[in-house]
Formats: sequence, C-alpha cells, structure tokens
Amino acid sequence: MIKIPYLAALTTLFSYGLLFVFGQLRDFFRKIFDYWSHSKLQGYAPICLGLEDFYIRRLYLRIQDCFNRPISSPPDAWFDVVERISNDNNKTLKRTTKVSRNFPQAPAVLGLMEALQPCIPNWRSVWRIFVGKPAAVVFGMGYVTNSAILPVLIGKGGLIISDSLNHKSIINGARGSGATVRVFQHNTPYHLEKVLREQIAEGQPRTHRPWKKIIVVVEGIYSMEGELCKLPEIVAICKKSKAYVYLDEAHSVGAVGKTGRGVCELLGVDTADVDIMMGTFTKSFGSCGGYIAGSKELIKYLKYTCPAHVYATSISPPAAQQIISSIKVILGEDGSSRGAQKLARIRENCNFFRSELQKMGFEVLGDNDSPVMPIMLYNPSKIPAFSRECLKQNVAVVTVAFPATPLLLARARICISAAHTKEDLIKALEVISRVGDLIGIKYFPAEPKKQQLEETRVKFE
Amino acid sequence: MIGKMYVQAVPTADMNRNTDWFTYPGVWTTYILILFFCWLLVLSVFNCTPGMAWTVINLCHFVVTYHFFHWKKGTPFPDDQGIYNGLTWWEQIDDGRQLTRNRKFLTVVPLVLYLIASHTTDYQHPMLFFNTLAVLVLVVAKFPNMHKVRIFGINGDQ
Repeated sequence: MIKIPYLAALTTLFSYGLLFVFGQLRDFFRKIFDYWSHSKLQGYAPICLGLEDFYIRRLYLRIQDCFNRPISSPPDAWFDVVERISNDNNKTLKRTTKVSRNFPQAPAVLGLMEALQPCIPNWRSVWRIFVGKPAAVVFGMGYVTNSAILPVLIGKGGLIISDSLNHKSIINGARGSGATVRVFQHNTPYHLEKVLREQIAEGQPRTHRPWKKIIVVVEGIYSMEGELCKLPEIVAICKKSKAYVYLDEAHSVGAVGKTGRGVCELLGVDTADVDIMMGTFTKSFGSCGGYIAGSKELIKYLKYTCPAHVYATSISPPAAQQIISSIKVILGEDGSSRGAQKLARIRENCNFFRSELQKMGFEVLGDNDSPVMPIMLYNPSKIPAFSRECLKQNVAVVTVAFPATPLLLARARICISAAHTKEDLIKALEVISRVGDLIGIKYFPAEPKKQQLEETRVKFE
Repeated sequence: MIGKMYVQAVPTADMNRNTDWFTYPGVWTTYILILFFCWLLVLSVFNCTPGMAWTVINLCHFVVTYHFFHWKKGTPFPDDQGIYNGLTWWEQIDDGRQLTRNRKFLTVVPLVLYLIASHTTDYQHPMLFFNTLAVLVLVVAKFPNMHKVRIFGINGDQ
C-alpha cells in the first residue's frame, strides 16, 4: 500500500491535466499550420495517427534528457555518463564528447562486471545446480525469453492470470499467445483466489468449456515497487486449483537469499512447487540473456518449439563465460569467499540505505532485503527536477514515470550494488537529502536525530 | 493541516493505462476544484454576473468533456497497438462495465452544473436553452444503452 499525501495527489492530477491541455493546444495549432504547408507524404499514409504518439511527443520528449543516459565506462560503482545537449528544446539530443564521473543508482547489483576468464564448456549444468531445477534452456535476450516462451506454453483456450504490475515482456508474451488474460490485484493472494475460482467456474468465454491450462505469472521482486512476491500463499492457492506457477526472477536471482538463489530460497518455497522459473542474467550476473528452468520434459519441448531457441543464435561465448564465472564466485567455487561477502554486503548496504532514507522522511517502497528502492516523487515536474539536480552533483538517478508506473505514482528508482562502499552511500545520501529538501519530496516527518532527542528529554526533567 | 492527510493508493486491476488513473484517490476532488477555479477565473476576466459565468463554465465543460470523453477514440500510447481504437474514453473506463461509481459520479456532475447555472441565471432565455441542450446531450451520451452506439454512423470506424 502506498500512502499518498492528499495534497500531493491533487496537485499531481492538476499538473498532468495542465500538461495535457498544453499538449492538446500545441497539437491543434500544429494541425492548423500543417494544413497550410504542403504535405511531404506524397500519397502514402502516415506511420502513426496523431493521437497515438501524443504522450511521447508532448510529455515524454519535454524531459527526454532525464531518461536513457548513455554511459561510456563498464558498469561499476562509478560511471562515466556522456553529456548531451539539445538545440531544439529536447526534441533531439546530441552527444558531446564530454563525460562526467557519476555515482549511479542503477541495477548493477552484485558488481560482478569485472573479471572474465577463458571459456569453459558445459555451463548449463552449472546453471541447473544453481537454480535447483532438473533442466534449463538459455536465450540471448531477457525480454525475448518472456515474450517468446508464453505463446509456446499456452494458446487459445488457455488462461493466463498475471499480477497487475507485471513487466511489459510478460504482457507482450501473454497478448501474443492468444490465451485469455486476466489480471489480479498486485500481490494480493485472496484476490488471486477470487479470480481463479470465478474463472474456473465460468470456463472459456462463450463456450463455457473448462480451460485447457491455467498459468499464474508472478515476479520475484517487482522492479518498480521493490516488493517481494507473496510466494508461499500464491503457490498454495495454485496447488489447490491445479494451476501452473510461472515465476519471473529477473531482479531477485543472484541478489536475495542466503546463497543468492533467489526468492524461493528467501521465502522458503520448494523449487519443485514452482513449475517454470524464469530469470535474466543482466542484473546480478553482469551479462546478458535470460533462462527458463523447469522439468526435463518441459525444457525438451521448449527446445523443439520455441522460436527464440530454434531460429535465433545462441548466447555469445563471452557472455556465457561471464555468467559461469559469476556463478562460481557466488557459490564460492572459485575458492575465495568473494561471493558470500558480496551477498552479505548487498544486504547490509540496502538495509542501511533504506533505513537512512526513511529516517530522513522520504517515502521509500519495498520490503527489507530488497535491493530495489523506489523513492516516491508524485508530481511530474519533480521528475526532471530531481534527475537534473542530482546529476549536477554527480549522482545519476533513474527516474520512472507514467506509463511504466501508474499515473500518480512517479518515482526515482534506486538499486543498491555490492560494489558501493559505505562512504559512497553516505555521500549519495547527503546529495539526495539536499536535493530532496530543495524539491520537497520528504512527505513523511523526519525522525529527529539522537542529540535532539536527548535535549527534549533533558527539558522534560 | 491538509498537507498532513494521507490516502491509501490501492493498486488497481485496470490494465488500460488511458483510464486507470481515474481509479486513484483525489480525482473527484480535483475535477470539482478545477471547475470551481475556472468559474472564479471567468468571473475575474470577463467581469460578468455569476450566473453568466456558470453558464460559460457549463458550456465549456460540455464542449471539453464531449470531445475528450465521447468523441476521441483510442489511447495516446502506441504500445497498446490499437486495441482500444474503436472505443471512446467513456466506453473504456472501468473495463466497459456500466453503472460503476465513477460513471455515476461523471453523470451527476453535468446535472449539478446545469442546476447551478440555471438557478443563478434565474431560468432566463437564451441561457436556459443552451444549458438544457448541453446537459441533455451529455447525459444521453452516458446512458448504458448508448455503449458503443454510433448514431447514423457519426464517429464510427472507417
């Protein structure tokens, strides 16, 4: 549950309304001017209707310089961010040759981007040991893993029930599969049960025959909320109704759990209960690609039918080797305790950072132990303000707005990495606190510092 | 003091990003406050009677809400790939279910505006005629029976 200050909700809606009105006015005048100038289309139809990309043209492009910043160094505790300038009010951006050294708050979770060793074969077996499932198949791209697997697993006559805040790749795959898609309220097991019972009772639309297959899709850590999924309850409900569970661990594999095996280990769920486990190598392993782990029959079937495996090239050798080396480090098989240290450090770092931010009065979402920390901004004008002010002080933050998050709930998403040291974190906290005061995003009362508490105690005595 | 009040934002199950913002808290209050402040603005700019100002607000409200709720179709996002291209915003909200709380509120607002406008102008013509026309069109457009109905093919799909 997110607690919004009522005034912030009203002003956010009003700001979006104002931006919308201005965008519509500009579109209206643009239409008038274009009517008089001659059309360059030469008889062809336009690529998109004017109203389809309204949001991109009139809202997103205004603050384009806050998103998709290019970097020119390997992802580590400190990055080189390339500066960009714009001559036409952010409609187009040009890269300059200047770079600035910035402290990033973006997903580079375990800081394992460093060493690469010579290639070793048979790495899928290493992966199977890590995830704890009998078989696994790997793809070159994480997004493609979701969007190409769901259509293969389920088709017309099946039912997909997905969490309302699932990632776009899952939505894409679900829509492409042809199955009926239903949504349950985010992380609410009793609503999932209600939807399941309703759908099983009604059956397929129009014919009311029983569903061929039901898959429930959830994520381990939700990338925009930082919340852990309520996996034990959801698995129990699915077992009762004989639905399959598909768990997307893009953010949680390698980052949570005592040995880094993901959300199943953290919450004590047996991996045999989760039918299909999916994850990506981009966040914790410093590589690229995605995997699906499941039973032997399932993986054999996927290898024969999934177009992302049959028609695509395999994952490239350096990426594969990076993954193997990372797993060896996490499991401690390379002899050192670097993996265990990194896991302990990331847990310490994220708990420290989260508690400090909450003490300062920011509204931070997410559970303890989750490396993803969204700080709520709400107003659309605070998004570029926060982003640009922090960049000036050499802290690069990732801000997320509509449509990746709901309209009212724009946020700055912070991901803590094991590569950050305590001094780095304290410096970042100072910068964020100063910028937060300037912008006014400390929506909750700050906890008084220890000296003030003692003073008040003395006064009472 | 109003800055210290908090509301819970329950995550919605509405997948249509064009309409899910309407399920969040504060929307009804913002709508009413915008109407009120526009009335104050019209009063201060045009130096007319309060009744004329309410009539102006009623008619502008009619034009704006008719255009955005019942005329424009589709969503402003290309990711939706045109699934909602045949539906107006009114037909998209609440997933197409009729007679929900949001729809009832949106039907009551033009009626209340009409009552205020006609009361403050003392039911004189020609203001009464235009106000009545506005409210009739808006309320009929919001009937459950008018869901996906295109009269004479006006605004239908090509």
